[in-house]
Amino acid sequence: MKSEDVMRGLIKVWTDFETKLDQVPIIDKLNRGKFRLEDYKTLLINHRQQVIEGGRWIARAASSIDEHYAELRSQFLQHCITEHKDYKMLEKNYVSIGGKLEDIQNAPKNTGSEALNAFMFHKASQPNPFDMLGAMFIIEGLGQNKAGGWGRAIMEQLDLSQEQVSFYIYHAEHDDEHMEEFDEALNSGILEIENMGEQIIKTAKITARLYQLQLEEIDNV
Amino acid sequence: MKEVFINALGAFLPSNPVKNTDIENYIGKINNQRSRNKAIILKRNKIKNRYYALDKNGNPQYSSAEMAANAVKHALQKSEINMKDISYLAASSTLGDVLVPGHASNIHGALKLAPIEIANFQSVCASSIMALKSAWLQVGSSEHNCAAVTGSEFASRYFRPGFYEPYLTETKQQTLPFEADFLRFTLSDGAGAALLENKPNERQLSLKIKWIDIRSYADRFDACMSAGEANGKPWGNFNNPIEATQSGALFLKQDFKILNNMIKIWVAHYLDLIDQRKIEIDKIDHLCSHYSSHSLREEAITLLDKAGALIDEQKWFTNLYEKGNTGTASIFIMLEELFYSGKLERGQNILCHVPESGRCVNGLMMLEVI
Repeated sequence: MKSEDVMRGLIKVWTDFETKLDQVPIIDKLNRGKFRLEDYKTLLINHRQQVIEGGRWIARAASSIDEHYAELRSQFLQHCITEHKDYKMLEKNYVSIGGKLEDIQNAPKNTGSEALNAFMFHKASQPNPFDMLGAMFIIEGLGQNKAGGWGRAIMEQLDLSQEQVSFYIYHAEHDDEHMEEFDEALNSGILEIENMGEQIIKTAKITARLYQLQLEEIDNV
Repeated sequence: MKEVFINALGAFLPSNPVKNTDIENYIGKINNQRSRNKAIILKRNKIKNRYYALDKNGNPQYSSAEMAANAVKHALQKSEINMKDISYLAASSTLGDVLVPGHASNIHGALKLAPIEIANFQSVCASSIMALKSAWLQVGSSEHNCAAVTGSEFASRYFRPGFYEPYLTETKQQTLPFEADFLRFTLSDGAGAALLENKPNERQLSLKIKWIDIRSYADRFDACMSAGEANGKPWGNFNNPIEATQSGALFLKQDFKILNNMIKIWVAHYLDLIDQRKIEIDKIDHLCSHYSSHSLREEAITLLDKAGALIDEQKWFTNLYEKGNTGTASIFIMLEELFYSGKLERGQNILCHVPESGRCVNGLMMLEVI
């Protein structure tokens, strides 16, 4: 598969995912302009339990990359450094709207987050797990295409300040470079590995499905 | 299935082209005030001329069925076919002239054809492709040897002040919301027709239909371009038509937020056809895309470029800017101009694309010049 073929596959997975997300009850409520403060709290609590693992699975994936792809390993590690404390932003947002820090820190993962997390660590533990680029495409895509809109909608509907929705707004503004890195990674030679293109698309598909599940399973712990 | 050919195309655009500065002389001014949205809308869609089936006083000059019949006659004049050869008529329109009977019946009546089989397709822009697909299958399966397909719209009559003012009075507003005004300066009137046969022309080029692929995404989208309901209530559920009008159930509106999300899914459908090898980018010589306004085109280009699926812009053909956005008639009117332009050569491939924002439908069709 050429990188263009992979991009086509990923865009197809993404659009299917993006349009299905709008049907998930919590997002549908946000789109309808009926979000309550308690919905935002719930979203932050549920989100934080997945985000806190993000840096860890990227680091695990980096450690599974062998010396032939040292450049990519650097890129994974860099990515990990920029993301691994993001959960703190969610905690700050939560406290800023009147939540207790210990509540968000001690909340368990919902069943969807469990599934997503288990899949990520499983994939990250395989040798040279470049198919995780598919997972990154979906998760970075959320940051770039959805988070900003969600953040602004939450801010408007609940009359909050930008600092109180910083996690969502920040990602919308800072995930541009990640997409460029993605393009570079895709064209770095990994597609010469047998079936890697197909695997990237499949991993994207599974990640999208599990991410949606996580939002569907809000508070089902 | 037998091979099927589009052997003639016709277009009917009522009266004379109307320039941007003249639009409100035809469709009127809401509450007697010039639209404040007009300039930004026209800047966005870049349409320069359009045609209206209304005169300058807002009086209808043709029915949609008459325009469709005229387009069929126009196609017949240029064809190797006689009127009596047509045994199947597939009509498409967003809205016919009347609620009952069907639009196809009225076109059949206007054409005064002998008893034939008819079918009626009511959707928005993609109803054109639905009608074409039915005719393709009817002729291809030898149920008929010759079919006429029409697309006709008379949208401007619904853009006249009387369709909005009772609502504005009732809701104590002076001006129209942008989502409603947008369509007043985007859509216009006209009709197009195609004649299909189970054999190619003997004396001129033909367009062989290679495939037609239509997909609806109503499973994930609510209505985006809609008319006939207000606050979730269909117009017929109001106590009477006056109440429906006052509630704003009877005018056309467009939800831009939903529209933006649709663009990607249309692109995804197209990418899927590339993956299926139905579309091979380097083998396309002309792209007839009914993007409903210029801004949609720009959005699509960015996405296509990323996926290596961009068709060279020099191959894009449109007459949107000069003939207006005529909804389901557009693709016929576009193909008619391209077909008789002298630009086509045997062996070339034409990809036609008709997205529909109504509740998200996407139609693609591949033609080969024979």
